[in-house]
Amino acid sequence: MKKLIELAEKAIASGKKTRVAVAAAEDANTIGAICRAAKDGFVMPILIGSEARIKALLEDHDLAPDAYQVVDISDPESATREAVRMVKEGSADVLMKGLVGTDKFLKQVLNKERGLLPPKAVMSYTCALELPRYHKLLLVSDTAVLPNPDLDQKIAMLNYSVKMAHTLGIKTPKVALITATEKVSPGMPNTIDYALISKMAERGQIKGCVVDGPLDVFLACDPASIEIKGVPTPIGGDADILIFPNLETANAFYKGLMLFAGGELAGLIQGTIKPVVVMSRSESENSKYYCIALACLMAEGQ
Amino acid sequence: MEIRKLDQMFEVLASRTKKRLVAAWAIDAHTIEAVAQAVNKGIIEGILVGDEARIKQVCTEHKIDPGLFKIVHCDNDLTAAAKAVDMINAGEGDFLMKGLLSTDRYMRAILNKEKGLMNPGAILSHVTVAEPKTYHKLLIFGDVAIIPLPDLNQKIAITNYLIRVAQLLGIENPKVGLQAASEQTLPKIPSCADAAIIAKMAERGQIKGAMIEGPLGMDLIIDSESAVIKGMKSEVCGDADCILFPNIEAGNAFYKTVVKLLKSDLCAIVMGARVPCVLTSRGDSERSKLYSIALAAMLA
Repeated sequence: MKKLIELAEKAIASGKKTRVAVAAAEDANTIGAICRAAKDGFVMPILIGSEARIKALLEDHDLAPDAYQVVDISDPESATREAVRMVKEGSADVLMKGLVGTDKFLKQVLNKERGLLPPKAVMSYTCALELPRYHKLLLVSDTAVLPNPDLDQKIAMLNYSVKMAHTLGIKTPKVALITATEKVSPGMPNTIDYALISKMAERGQIKGCVVDGPLDVFLACDPASIEIKGVPTPIGGDADILIFPNLETANAFYKGLMLFAGGELAGLIQGTIKPVVVMSRSESENSKYYCIALACLMAEGQ
Repeated sequence: MEIRKLDQMFEVLASRTKKRLVAAWAIDAHTIEAVAQAVNKGIIEGILVGDEARIKQVCTEHKIDPGLFKIVHCDNDLTAAAKAVDMINAGEGDFLMKGLLSTDRYMRAILNKEKGLMNPGAILSHVTVAEPKTYHKLLIFGDVAIIPLPDLNQKIAITNYLIRVAQLLGIENPKVGLQAASEQTLPKIPSCADAAIIAKMAERGQIKGAMIEGPLGMDLIIDSESAVIKGMKSEVCGDADCILFPNIEAGNAFYKTVVKLLKSDLCAIVMGARVPCVLTSRGDSERSKLYSIALAAMLA
């Protein structure tokens, strides 16, 4: 895949209608994106929030009355709790955040008894980037959830991202473990983690992908750099997935690309029993639409 | 020429300029006989540092010609060790050998900060070269004697010593197996984790001149059939020249198995000082001592 719109095309082509529970579905962007997905036929929205405000927002979208459901709960926290309950009990397939603070939203997702994270599971965030100057979608983790992933968390991030790549139809994704250098140095603990992870993959302990690291972004995504630097790597400058050592780096990387390179993204939370869509309020309607499509593909792929 | 049998070291040395061995407190028959043999083989020049009268007496008792050696008189073991090290530093000798003094005192003379043989930051380690009867080539391994539980940096240093010894024995691109509890990369088992890190460093060209694979179980390192069964494709498997052991227990047990169970010849050397140092023990066979002197001469 080269463009995020292909996510929606794939979701439409699947012929499936995924039930998306939107917690506090009360902002125009979110409603706009979910209505578009509903009209495209791959989503059945379950809109949880103040019915009056939801109805008012829906007026702009001309959605058939049987193409969505509304659950009238005006308090955002209670609405989130209900959305989480529906996903947990199987009456919805995807959870999506609307007009509720990320903290409040995640608190419900992470609730030990009622939440969506299995015991000991690692929750992490992977996003797919569409970049005008890269020849395919690039998956990046973790741009949003884990501040300083340890070795096990890095492996979890990798496995989630690989699963996403498989869902997108990439059979053997190439995973690059990103830091500032390709050298292994005890002074840079992330390079040690990366050496271990790439060796684990070599030994068949991580499956369904090709892994190499430490690498820098150039060696991961630019074949010319490999030639210049003379670092033989099976990634070959053709990475499908970049695993970053910490949230700051990953976050700055994707935001830089959004701002300066015209990138677009679709991302979601993984590790939960069903995909969870969390986007900041500033995200465009387009981005939210792609996220929904990605979440639907992931939910149906499970 | 690639050395494939320990005896071949004698041929090589015979064709080279003779290196000067300095034996510290060489007043016992074991040491003097070993040096005499090496001198008689024509592979070294021998300098014995010790009590001259006693050295001559031992020579008489064992029918050794004292004229084979240069004798440097010292009254006791401590001054002899210091003198021997001084001579090396003054360029009057090419490598060191331990005589009758304790290993502890010998090592202290080498490690002495002002007058010893160490460069700042250097790591002292023990390298063994064995000729196991059931293996198709020499095996170079460490550390079986000096560093009890090497950390990552020490393991890297030991690996580099193994490679250097292999290269000086004419093995151009030696194959190094990093021994561990399992070939799986199990991050919580230090032998596995460190081996994975070192192998990756080698892949990135940070350790040069060798083909390095690990973590590997001992079976995979020395037996290609095991490698086939376990689906391990590395060229190192079953054909290793060098083995890095994760700790002294593993290395020492292997060393003693080679000697006692396989009845195979081996020799050893201390690396990391400015010159190679011979550290034989009285339990070593005559042959083994001679080989150790030859090995040090090869590396000096």
